[in-house]
Amino acid sequence: MIASTDSNAAVHSTAGVSRPMLELRGVAKSFGGLKVIDDLSFSVQAGERAALIGPNGAGKTSAFNLVSGLYAVDRGSVMLDGTDITHVPSRKRVGYGLARTFQNIRLMAQLTVLENVMLGQSSAASSFTGMLQPVNLLRSNRWGKHARAQLEAAGLSQYEKFPAGELPYGIQKRVELVRALLARPRMLLLDEPAAGLNPTETNELRLHLERIADGGTTLLVVEHDMHFVGALCRRVLVLNFGRLIADCTPREAQADPLVREAYLGSDDELVSDHAS
Amino acid sequence: MSGYLEGVLVLLAINVILAYGAFLPLAAGQLNLGIGGFVAIGAYGSAYLSNEYAWDPLAAALVASGLTGFVAMLVAFAVLRTRGIYLALATFAFGQVVQGVILNLNVVGGAAGYPVSTFLGPVAVFAVALAVLALVVLLFHTRFGISVTAVNDDETVSDLLGISVRGIQTAAFTAGSVIAALAGALYAHYFSFVEAQNYGVMFSIYIVLYVLLGGTQSVWGPLFGAAVFTLLPELLRGSAQWRYVIFACLIIVVMNLRPDGLATRGLLRKLFGRRDGAGAPERP
Amino acid sequence: MLAQQVVNGLLLGSVYALVAVAFTFAIGILNFLNFSIPGIFMFAGMLSWAMLRADFSLPIVVLAALASGAVLSWVVERVTWRPVGKSNHYVPLVGSMAFLILIENLVLVAWGSDQQRLTLPFADASLRVGGLVIGIPQVVGMIAAIAAVAGLALVLKRTRIGRGLRTIAEDTGTARLLGVPVQRFVPVVFCTGGVFTAMAGVLFALNYQQASPFMGEEIALKGISAMVIGGMGNIWGAILGGLIIGVVETASISWFGARAVDVAVYGLLLAILFVRPSGLLGGGAARDRA
Repeated sequence: MIASTDSNAAVHSTAGVSRPMLELRGVAKSFGGLKVIDDLSFSVQAGERAALIGPNGAGKTSAFNLVSGLYAVDRGSVMLDGTDITHVPSRKRVGYGLARTFQNIRLMAQLTVLENVMLGQSSAASSFTGMLQPVNLLRSNRWGKHARAQLEAAGLSQYEKFPAGELPYGIQKRVELVRALLARPRMLLLDEPAAGLNPTETNELRLHLERIADGGTTLLVVEHDMHFVGALCRRVLVLNFGRLIADCTPREAQADPLVREAYLGSDDELVSDHAS
Repeated sequence: MSGYLEGVLVLLAINVILAYGAFLPLAAGQLNLGIGGFVAIGAYGSAYLSNEYAWDPLAAALVASGLTGFVAMLVAFAVLRTRGIYLALATFAFGQVVQGVILNLNVVGGAAGYPVSTFLGPVAVFAVALAVLALVVLLFHTRFGISVTAVNDDETVSDLLGISVRGIQTAAFTAGSVIAALAGALYAHYFSFVEAQNYGVMFSIYIVLYVLLGGTQSVWGPLFGAAVFTLLPELLRGSAQWRYVIFACLIIVVMNLRPDGLATRGLLRKLFGRRDGAGAPERP
Repeated sequence: MLAQQVVNGLLLGSVYALVAVAFTFAIGILNFLNFSIPGIFMFAGMLSWAMLRADFSLPIVVLAALASGAVLSWVVERVTWRPVGKSNHYVPLVGSMAFLILIENLVLVAWGSDQQRLTLPFADASLRVGGLVIGIPQVVGMIAAIAAVAGLALVLKRTRIGRGLRTIAEDTGTARLLGVPVQRFVPVVFCTGGVFTAMAGVLFALNYQQASPFMGEEIALKGISAMVIGGMGNIWGAILGGLIIGVVETASISWFGARAVDVAVYGLLLAILFVRPSGLLGGGAARDRA
């Protein structure tokens, strides 16, 4: 049963009536005989901060992979800001305003932090001249300038020249986020952005994400840390066995019997206060 | 300059060019085991132009290399659908076919080899080698260079970031083949003779090996590898076979100890320093 | 005339088949293109020549050659695969290429670059069947080759070691989880390939009475084409591919001359890679890691 609440309608963009930024309609995906996503439909409004939660194996990363185009849908459609991107190749979806981060950090270990984040500009710089700009030689280059500015805004300037693979985990996570931001996304998918971070780092991350959302970017976050989710997001979409089983506020999700049942037996924090 | 020293330096220059011809696809994650075939096309093509039509050797070299680029693009389109081992095998097959075809073309001498009538002096060879070096180094300081490393590192993420993986791989493969053809053309016009027998898979293997010896992490690696391959034997002064024995042993040892090659980014940073000077921050 | 060409081709093809089996075994189980195989082929052939010249008896020569194949391939495994093979698929390929160069040049140093002749008493013994001339040594070689491959297939299917190898071919990680001692099986893969390659080298040297330091490049390398045509990772495909390549070679020589062989054999490889990379009998047996 989907628990409908008013919180969905409560999120408006400052410009007026909200519109769906990301919309899935009847999406299904199977591998061999295994159904990973089974008739999934939801929409995330522009400017919203939503979370996608569920036990391990529920299909959260698969959903992300379908949205970003790594997998092709078997059925259904994916709409981004009103445009049907279901059949748009994965490479082109960045150009439509979509960016994501990954569960296991996927930075290029040998490239420096600056080079890594500049990869986020790839879609915008894909012209012939864009490709051949000597970004690593001329400091006055506009791509370099923009990238450095974003690194500075994220407090990462001092790591600019380090190979990404040599940096601590927490720093790498932040670098990956900056890389996604350099693609100037309207829709940002974050796959477990708080995993492995200590409480201070988690709090800084939340503040950073709030600033990003305030700037107009829509967020959809996969997370297991329910405190983090509760503080950042006003809406959670709960997945289990590839289907949506709840769509409500974080507090309502924690109280929903269906959701609790889905998590029973897992070590996730959702059941941390379950009386034993 | 003595004739002997000049010969060694010209060979070094040509090996450097060949190294960059193999390096470009390798940096994008592709093993071109048929690079000998592209060298042969450049050598024979430019020799034919200067022999039959009295072209200036440098012009012949450039045009032949450009034509080789077209061939390389066709091969790339056909072959880049495949990956990994299939790509290595397809380029290997291509190189063998090219060699086989040339050996049957009596118009360019067939198995007897093809004499080249126009001579290209060493200065021109050195100049071209320097130009290639400068171009490739410059290229790797552009976004293209970063994208090549990215594609090699993680194709999936590169694709999701909007990089055309096939485009990058095709460009790297084509550019590498053009450079290899240029080396072939220079060889033909300096040594005044080309033999297709020399451009088979063993030739390709030697080039790939010394590029990997130098290391593909840094754009200076191929220079290093070519230098070791060309100059070390001169220092050791053994017979040709012993030189290759030592080279093979060197490869085996280095691959065991430093699989990334000799000139890794880490080593280069240690030797030439970093502008900020600080070490990497401690892990918490 | 055509039938004679086909017969000759099939007999030659049994040599290619053995080499193809060695290649396909390494690719199928370890996803490893073993470039040292042509070197091992050549060494076995040259060793046979050298020992026959030194008046060793034929059985000793054959045994020594087969042993050399096992030893050389064990060295290659120890030095190129064991240190880094699990994590890095590049390095073993490069290492095997280095071994090819090493073996070829050591042989050049030891025995020079000339092609050598082997003289054997029964070399010209042949059967005459319906107008066809069939060399007896070649037939014996072919039978031996087929027997060896059949034996290998049986081992793979029926024995514990065979099951372990097939599991490793499926997925090395799963194999470990299932308790297969991967570390100990890998040398088996190498040595089996080495023995098959050496057998091919000996057969070629004895049957065609020639050996040269370049026979690895010139002959064994075509085993790669045979492997792909038959289907990578499939040992019966290797036999089929080997026989096909043998016939293609003899047919090209008789129709177009000796220089056309490489174009035909490698052109066929190129065509198969474009049109049907999994080969005739392959069904996606080769995993495709870049």
